[in-house]
Amino acid sequence: MTEREMGSDEEQQWVPFKNRPEWSDVIPVEQDDGPNPVVPIAYKEQFTETMNYFRAVFKADERSPRALQLTTEAIGLNSGNYTIWHYRRLILETLEADLQNELDFTDQIAQINSKNYQLWHHRRWVAEILGANATSAELEFTKKILLGDAKNYHAWSHRQWVLKELGGWENELDYCWELLEEDVFNNSAWNQRFFVITRSPLLGGLTAMRESEVSYTLKAIVAHPENESSWRYLRGLYKNDNWSWANDPQIASVCLKVLSANNDCIFALSTLLDLIRHGFQASKELRDAVDAIRNSNLVEAESDLTKTICSLLEKLDPIRVNYWKWRKSILCEGAK
Amino acid sequence: MASEIFERDRHVTFLQMMYQLLPSPYQSQEINRLTLAYFVISGLDLLAAPDRLVDKEAVAKWVLSLQAHPRSQSELNNGQFYGFYGSRSAQFPSEDNDNGALLSRSVGNLASTYCAVAILKIIGYDLSSIDSESILTSMRNLQQSDGSFMPIHTGAETDLRFIYCAVAICHMLGNWSGMDKEKAKAYIINCQSYDGGFGLTPGSESHGGATYCSVTSLRLMGFIEEDILSKDAESSIINVPLLLDWCLQAADGGFQGRPNKPSDTCYAFWIGSVLKVLGGHKFIDKKALHGFLLTCQSEYGGFSKFPGDFPDLYHSYYGFTAFSLLEEPGLKPLCVELGMSAIAAIGI
Repeated sequence: MTEREMGSDEEQQWVPFKNRPEWSDVIPVEQDDGPNPVVPIAYKEQFTETMNYFRAVFKADERSPRALQLTTEAIGLNSGNYTIWHYRRLILETLEADLQNELDFTDQIAQINSKNYQLWHHRRWVAEILGANATSAELEFTKKILLGDAKNYHAWSHRQWVLKELGGWENELDYCWELLEEDVFNNSAWNQRFFVITRSPLLGGLTAMRESEVSYTLKAIVAHPENESSWRYLRGLYKNDNWSWANDPQIASVCLKVLSANNDCIFALSTLLDLIRHGFQASKELRDAVDAIRNSNLVEAESDLTKTICSLLEKLDPIRVNYWKWRKSILCEGAK
Repeated sequence: MASEIFERDRHVTFLQMMYQLLPSPYQSQEINRLTLAYFVISGLDLLAAPDRLVDKEAVAKWVLSLQAHPRSQSELNNGQFYGFYGSRSAQFPSEDNDNGALLSRSVGNLASTYCAVAILKIIGYDLSSIDSESILTSMRNLQQSDGSFMPIHTGAETDLRFIYCAVAICHMLGNWSGMDKEKAKAYIINCQSYDGGFGLTPGSESHGGATYCSVTSLRLMGFIEEDILSKDAESSIINVPLLLDWCLQAADGGFQGRPNKPSDTCYAFWIGSVLKVLGGHKFIDKKALHGFLLTCQSEYGGFSKFPGDFPDLYHSYYGFTAFSLLEEPGLKPLCVELGMSAIAAIGI
């Protein structure tokens, strides 16, 4: 959780504030930790001095270029300090600074640590001011971050905010498609896909998009039946519509396909269980496919297909054996 | 050479060293010093460390010195949050020639306030003697129209984490005037993703930490029952069966924070706790989890995020809480909703 600190090269190049002529008029303000501070930190000299000068200008509410530069250095040392970021924004407002430079600044900070909440909030603040003009820059920036870490939670949050507030939906579904081509296991990309199909003003909403999305997802499932993300997405396409879920033959069909391919697929079995629970009637083919797996795993048949599936899952998914046992037990209680 | 047992004494020593002095890499987290203190103090408490290791009086004094105090009733309503500061670098004392504007530079923080109140509770400080009125009255300013909370009044991201902090603070202070529970509930419900887990904001990817914040908040506010799995799970305001399945699927030895990501120590607490609240922790493969956590145990004491990394305070603390959930002998039982030992939570 500790971020990468400034390298030792940078430390050696650092000039103490007390040696900088342009700061000679400022009296640094030391931290008053009190008599018995708890969890004191072994601050390095650079940190202490920078923060002492920060305290001095902050108390004086100085809004100058040198104060701005000071916040740059202070943020470099503790980028989570929201007091410093807030002060920076006050200075930028007073100086009527060119906020394009801020976009570059956040980019630099992101190189050091792209998982910092204050950085992203600052970026959002800039984008709000720049408005729709910032849309493509923000989408490009998040794309760049995601290139380094396709699951960066902050980047995704920011991207969703940009889309909702500033727009730019046109290519988002394509972007999801690209990311999933690179890594079909990227759950963030699946989530973004759901976000787009449900919220994009350019598409028709979940129900309208369902058919094409099911088709897409089924292909992904068949290619990698062990991928939790695709199964969850498929289920999500039928959110609040259990009747359609249980009555869409494509769902049962993909379960059959996966089970018949001799992939002892846990997700296919649990999906089948879920379908039956919602009223689906299993075909003979499906029952036979389950039986084949049951036989090859030496699992006894039960009176009921759902119970058999639970028994199979106890065997095939041992880390969750107690869960499957419990699922079987509640089947008895009238819930089908 | 990974140890095969939970090395309690080494962990106590680790925390003791942190309590005395945090190494310089922690300077980058300086603004959250109260949070670091919470990890140390709650950690020592859970490990049932000897009382003498923590100077309770000094701790109480230091924590209280970080409390924001409005100077007048009118100041209380000026939009600032009069909770606790995360550290001295958010606290700017007023001076003699102060014109009121100086005080506004101080920034109370909701997460720091949660940590402060939690620490006081853990060391047995009488919470009725702190000025909770100011905390609760000004906390309302941080709640947004959609029900979420901002952590500081000067502007920041708003998400589930801070709803949790607000809820826990109100619960510990025994007073819900600090927030609109119904609005918070509505926001939380909107955060449940299509896959059953919860994201930090509506539309966000489901995530172990966000799921913890949502489920414990609903529980603390009384919107979901205890041990809901043995009752009527289907009628809950959230989709419990899907949530349960999502949580359990996150187990692959340890727990993942999100599907198809590697297991990380801290999710044993975040997701383990959700399962506890729901009444589903009996489904956890304790042996597998125990084994995974031990691979993240450091020979220097503490826990790392992934096997083989260096230990850090955050993952160490959540490693300890995970072992408490696993009922490791010698550790105090945990109150998962408040993030402290059960004894501290009850306040005996």
